[in-house]
Amino acid sequence: MALAVTTTRLSESRPLLALAPERPDTVAWLCDGDGFVAWGNAVTLDPGEPDQRFLDADGLFRAATQDATITDEVGVPGGGLIAFGSFTFAAVAGSKLRIPQVIVGRRNGVTWQTVITTGHDLACDPPLAAGVTRPVPAHHQPRFAGSTNPDVHWLDAVAQARAAIRSGALDKVVLARDYAVWSYEPFSPLAIAERLSATFPQCYTFIFDGLVGATPELLLRVAGDTVTSQVLAGTCARDANEARDTALTQALLASQKDRDEHAFAVASVADVLALHSNDLNVPNTPYVLKLANVQHLATTITGTLRQPIRALSLAGQMHPSAAVGGTPRENALAFIATHEGMQRGRYAAPIGYVTPDGDGEFGIALRCAEVSGARARLFAGVGIVAESLPEAELAETHLKLLAMQRALGSI
Amino acid sequence: MRVGENMSSSTPPKGTGNAELQRAVSANDDAVYDLPALAALVGTTPTLLEALERSGLLLANQHDATGTALYSDADAAAVRAGLTLLDAGLPLTELLTIAQHTDEAIQLIAKHAVDAFIAFVRDPVHGTATSPTEAIGRLVTAYEQMLPATETLVAHHLRRRLISEALERLTADES
Repeated sequence: MALAVTTTRLSESRPLLALAPERPDTVAWLCDGDGFVAWGNAVTLDPGEPDQRFLDADGLFRAATQDATITDEVGVPGGGLIAFGSFTFAAVAGSKLRIPQVIVGRRNGVTWQTVITTGHDLACDPPLAAGVTRPVPAHHQPRFAGSTNPDVHWLDAVAQARAAIRSGALDKVVLARDYAVWSYEPFSPLAIAERLSATFPQCYTFIFDGLVGATPELLLRVAGDTVTSQVLAGTCARDANEARDTALTQALLASQKDRDEHAFAVASVADVLALHSNDLNVPNTPYVLKLANVQHLATTITGTLRQPIRALSLAGQMHPSAAVGGTPRENALAFIATHEGMQRGRYAAPIGYVTPDGDGEFGIALRCAEVSGARARLFAGVGIVAESLPEAELAETHLKLLAMQRALGSI
Repeated sequence: MRVGENMSSSTPPKGTGNAELQRAVSANDDAVYDLPALAALVGTTPTLLEALERSGLLLANQHDATGTALYSDADAAAVRAGLTLLDAGLPLTELLTIAQHTDEAIQLIAKHAVDAFIAFVRDPVHGTATSPTEAIGRLVTAYEQMLPATETLVAHHLRRRLISEALERLTADES
C-alpha cells in the first residue's frame, strides 16, 4: 500500500479554517494564520505500547511512508507528506497519528494543497469552493455538567501538594481540573477553532479527533538541525486598564513564587535538550507573553542539534516537562496519578505534526476541550509550589477555563 | 465603681452602658472550636475552612488567649449549610463569589442597622432614662429583641427574593 502524494500550489487567500469541511476527521494546526487544515483518513497509526507511544508512532510512520511517491511542485517546509497526531499525557491508550487525504497548508503567503492516495481509498471532499461557507451552527447556551473531581477535593489536593513540597518530597507539581459542559446541539470543532484563532492569534490553534484548543506552549520544533522550545509557567490575569495591566506584568516578573515555578519548567526542558545540543541558548530572564485572557512568564530556548534526532523521539524524551508534570518528574507524576482525581487523556500532552524526514512541531495541548457531539470536557491546570494558596490556585483554574468557555459560546 | 454611677445629671455621659451592651452583644454565641475542631465537627478538611477564613467569609467574633480564632455551633451550622450547597453541585468558586457579594451587601446593611440602633434607640434611651441602670436595662432588652428580629427580616426577605427570582427565571426558560 504505497502512498502517492501530490503537492500543488493553490491560489487562495481565505483563512485556512474557512476552507475545511466539517468532518469528524478534520484536523487543524495553525499559528498566526499559517499552518494546516486537513481531512480524510489515508492511514491512521495507533501506537500499541502506551509506554513507548512516541517511538512506536514514529516507527509506524516511517514504515507507512518509506515507499511513498512524493511529487511536490511547491517545495516549502510542510509541503509533501505529513502526519498529524496527538498523544496521551500518561502511558494509556488513546495516542494517534494520522496521514490525511487532503492537506491545505500556508506559509509566508504561499498556499498549497497536498492530496494523498493509497490506491484504494474513497474520493475525499475538496476544500470548500469559493463562496461556499459551512452552515452556522445553531447557538445554544452550553451548560455546566460537572467536574470529575469536585473542586473542594481539588482544593485538598493542592493543600496536600503544598505539604509534600514543604516536606521536600517535591519541588513543584502541576494539578489540573476538568469542567464538563453540554448543549442541545453538537459543538462544531471548526467554529470553536475559528473563535480561538481570532482571540489567540499567537497561539497554536489545533483540532485533532475532537481535541480542540489554542496553546501558547511549544514543546518543540525540529527544523533540520535547529530545535526550538517555548516554555510557559507562571501566570496572572490581564486588566483592561493599561496602567493596571502593566502593574500586573511587573508583579508577575517580581513574584518569586512565579519565577520559581517558571525556572523548574525551563530547567526540565533545557536538561533534555542539552543532551542533544552543544550551543543551547537558555535566556536567564523570562519575558512576559500577553494573551487575550492571561499573561505568562515565557522563555524561548533554541539550539543546534549535534546529531539528527526525530521530532517524535525528542517529544517522547521531553514529555512531560515540569510545565505540565512537575519536579522531580517521577515524584510529581506519581503525585498527580494519586491526587488529581481524574484522567487527563490527551490534555497537557503533545499535539502537532511530523514529516517523513523527522522534522515536526509539537505544542502542549493546554487551553483545550475534548469535544464529543453535544458534550465537551474543558481542562485547566496550575503549577503548585511551596507558596501556593489553594483558593488562589482554584481561582487561576477558573480564569484559565473562561477562555475555552468563551470559545464554546457559553459566556 | 460602675461607669456613670457618680453622675447626678439625668443625661448620662458618652459611652455609658457600652460595657454591658458589649457583654450582651458577645454573649449570644458560645465559641469553643478552633479551626481544626470546627472542620472535624462538620466533617470537612481544614483546607476549605482556611480558605474561607482567608477570604473573610468565616468570621470569628471570639479568640482565645493566644489569639486563635474560636468558632461556635452557629458557625458550624453555617459551614454545614455551605457544604450542603457544595454537595448539591455548586462549584466552590461560585459559592465563594456569591458569598463575597453577600458579604459586601450584608456589611452595608449591618452598618446601616447599627447606625439606626445608635441614632434611634440608644440615643433616645440615654436622653429619656431616669437613671443609668434603667438606661442599660432598656438598651440590653432592646438589643436582645432587635437582633433576632433583624435576622428574621433579612433572612425572610432573601428567601422571598430568591423565590421570585427563581420563578421569573423558570418562566423565562419555558418561553
